[in-house]
Amino acid sequence: MNVLHVLFKVDGTEYAMPAADVVQMESFTGATPVPGAPSHVAGLVQVRGRVIPVVDARARFGLPPGKHSLDSRVVVGQLGERTVGLLVDSAREVLKLDPRTIQPPPPMVVERAKGFVKAVAQVGPRLVMLIDFPRVMGEETADVDGQR
Amino acid sequence: MTTSVEFAEFLPAYLAEVDELLAAAQRDLLAVEEAVRRGAAQPRAVRELFRALHTIKGLSSMVDVEPIVSLAHWMETSLRLADQAGGRLPESSVEPLVEGLRAIEQRVRQLAAGKTASPAPVNLLERLEALGPHVLGTAPAAPTRRVVLDAEAAFAAKLAPSEREQLEGGLQAGQRAVRLDFVPSAERAAQGLTINTVRERVAKLGDIVKVLPLSGAAAGGASLAFALLLITVSDDAALLGAVGGAPATLRSLAVNAPEEAPVPLAPLPATALLASSVAATEEELEEPEVRRGGGLLRVEVSRLDEAMEWLAALVVNRSRLTRAVAALTAAGAPTRELTAILQENGRQLRDLRSAILRLRMVRVGDVLERLPLLVRGLRRTTGKAVRLELDVGDAELDKAVADRLLPALVHLVRNAVDHALEMPEERVAAGKLPEGLVHLGCHARSSGQLEITLRDDGRGVDAKAVAKAANAPVPESVDGLLDLLCRPGLSTRQEATSTSGRGMGMDIVRRIVVEQLGGELRMETRKGAGTTFTLRVPLTVTLVDAIVFECAGLKYAVSVGTVEELIDVDALRVVRPAGANGLGLVERRGAAVPLLSLEQLLGRTAPAREGVSRGTKALIVRQRGEPVAFAVDRLLGQQEIVLRPLEDPLVRVPGVAGATDLGDGQPTLVLDLGALGAAHGVRRKGSARPGEWVS
Repeated sequence: MNVLHVLFKVDGTEYAMPAADVVQMESFTGATPVPGAPSHVAGLVQVRGRVIPVVDARARFGLPPGKHSLDSRVVVGQLGERTVGLLVDSAREVLKLDPRTIQPPPPMVVERAKGFVKAVAQVGPRLVMLIDFPRVMGEETADVDGQR
Repeated sequence: MTTSVEFAEFLPAYLAEVDELLAAAQRDLLAVEEAVRRGAAQPRAVRELFRALHTIKGLSSMVDVEPIVSLAHWMETSLRLADQAGGRLPESSVEPLVEGLRAIEQRVRQLAAGKTASPAPVNLLERLEALGPHVLGTAPAAPTRRVVLDAEAAFAAKLAPSEREQLEGGLQAGQRAVRLDFVPSAERAAQGLTINTVRERVAKLGDIVKVLPLSGAAAGGASLAFALLLITVSDDAALLGAVGGAPATLRSLAVNAPEEAPVPLAPLPATALLASSVAATEEELEEPEVRRGGGLLRVEVSRLDEAMEWLAALVVNRSRLTRAVAALTAAGAPTRELTAILQENGRQLRDLRSAILRLRMVRVGDVLERLPLLVRGLRRTTGKAVRLELDVGDAELDKAVADRLLPALVHLVRNAVDHALEMPEERVAAGKLPEGLVHLGCHARSSGQLEITLRDDGRGVDAKAVAKAANAPVPESVDGLLDLLCRPGLSTRQEATSTSGRGMGMDIVRRIVVEQLGGELRMETRKGAGTTFTLRVPLTVTLVDAIVFECAGLKYAVSVGTVEELIDVDALRVVRPAGANGLGLVERRGAAVPLLSLEQLLGRTAPAREGVSRGTKALIVRQRGEPVAFAVDRLLGQQEIVLRPLEDPLVRVPGVAGATDLGDGQPTLVLDLGALGAAHGVRRKGSARPGEWVS
């Protein structure tokens, strides 16, 4: 059965996650920095009255920081009780992925992606990385000494 | 009006009591009006209304508020007559009674505001006085066919004339008048069958006229039983089922053989009562008394707040203790037992906190009890037919949330009636019922939030008209439409109306729900079919009086209670000891106070902004008992904020108590400066999170 996925781009690469885990997408107008939070946490944003933390996908994937633009999106996802956001360069597409096109990632990708990529899907000529959303959001608590 | 010491002393209790009575009276009056419109009697509501006014009159004469006494007096007088007439009121009498209640309410508000109650309007008093004779005129003519009650079964002497009339009236109308005896027992109580639940269950099957407790022989061997006298159309099985079956008994109150010489029910000689084996206990179970007692206690909110403040102090102290123990542990002291006690202590504090929060919960149903009256008023002013459905169940809300939420709901209900619902003719033309529906439902969600839906079956929001009024393109999504509706000052009306004023005022609703309460507001609307607003609000909020300031280009807030002093920092007079890594010293009343750069603590570097000099103000906070100054750029003011704790592990950090919305849509951090300084000063693993007391 084909599963609906949300596609987004980070540093030119396409990623995807199941649409069922996505609550909504918001344009990004800046986040309130939280001192002492892990460095990949961009900060707090307010989404429909809720205050949620946003993880910067570039920082999380170890990519060079990018400029935020009108295309920047916060993909708001649900992780059990938690509602968290992932800041990406753009997110425009929703696609049904055929499970037969989804393959385990090559070992090199596994290694370099710190386990954030759990599968690779072939969409026509494009390769799309399926992210492990819980792992990307992580549970690492703040640095204990409050230093960045 | 006297301003004696006694008056001032009794005023708060008087106001609280009268408020409650007024709310009950309004409810009852609506029930009476409803019955009057159907041409039916509503003896229970009339009696309750009568009692409420009687009590209001009594209380008001005790504190010597003459205008209320005279208003209540004439209302009470006519209601007593109506009660004696079996709960019948002429339709024309409802309006003066409504006005009377309103006049009383206005005067109560005046008293609450410390003013003198204005005199009762003479014209209104005259109309209320005229009600009495009017009421008598509508008493039903003597029944042509006399239906007779089984006197013994009905405990004739215990029945008031109006109750007897109600039972007889039921029989004449072809209903059954029955006596249902319920025998309570421990097993039944375990099944949830007590006299109170039985009352509720039976009330669904018929009109309970009276409930009498029985003891001795009358109770049929049990030590205690209750006889419920009611009018009903239900059958024996349903009625017996409602009281849990045998040993409950049921018998008809109608005399079996009507041909027999009718025994006039009225005054049975006292001896006859004694001869009958009926021994009703002295104390009649009348509802109001039960309600008054009820194990309830009225407490001023300020006292609960005070308890909460003490608790907060306790929790702050506990974090200091935790830090001290951590320091001991680090120094190699045997602290295992101490740590265990501390953990236990933390749990106890959490339990205590939730217990205090529970004390502040009020029933949503009680909060909304004014809405039916509001809708009634709207019916009159708009000429629309409206039915208000409240489906609120047992949900509860924190008092602070409820107080803020009510105006938003009032606003939405007003809008629904005034703007959304069509006139009856228009509705019929559109194939709808002439009577419009406003439905308010709510249920608690697992996430500590309450969801309230307000639905109408009116014309729906006209996106084009809204776009035109807002001078904006027609929004593509319903969220976009709601954003437009919530623009301050938006109005789709040319004229102001008396009920909603000019415009929708949706910006106020959103401000309350989203900004003040940290909730969520959504809308669904379908042209011609109606609109539903969904409000999601937290069950509790933590309100904090906060100082808002700016540091390195960002706004922050800090609880006023933690700040000891605000000072100006003269850069020239700050002493910077060598090797102290940016730490400065300022002089305050002859003592040196360490000065920390908050900008540095927050790890922020922002370009200098014109007109804002850096670090020229400082907040003095106690950190482990010692004053420490935190340099900030600019003080922006003091305000009450809703503190939203940060629950997510990614952002639960020492020094940040939570976030708040200052109205700009961006979260603003609420700092715990003492903890922030400590986290940096100590740099130790597992340091406490002093922000936790607010989580």
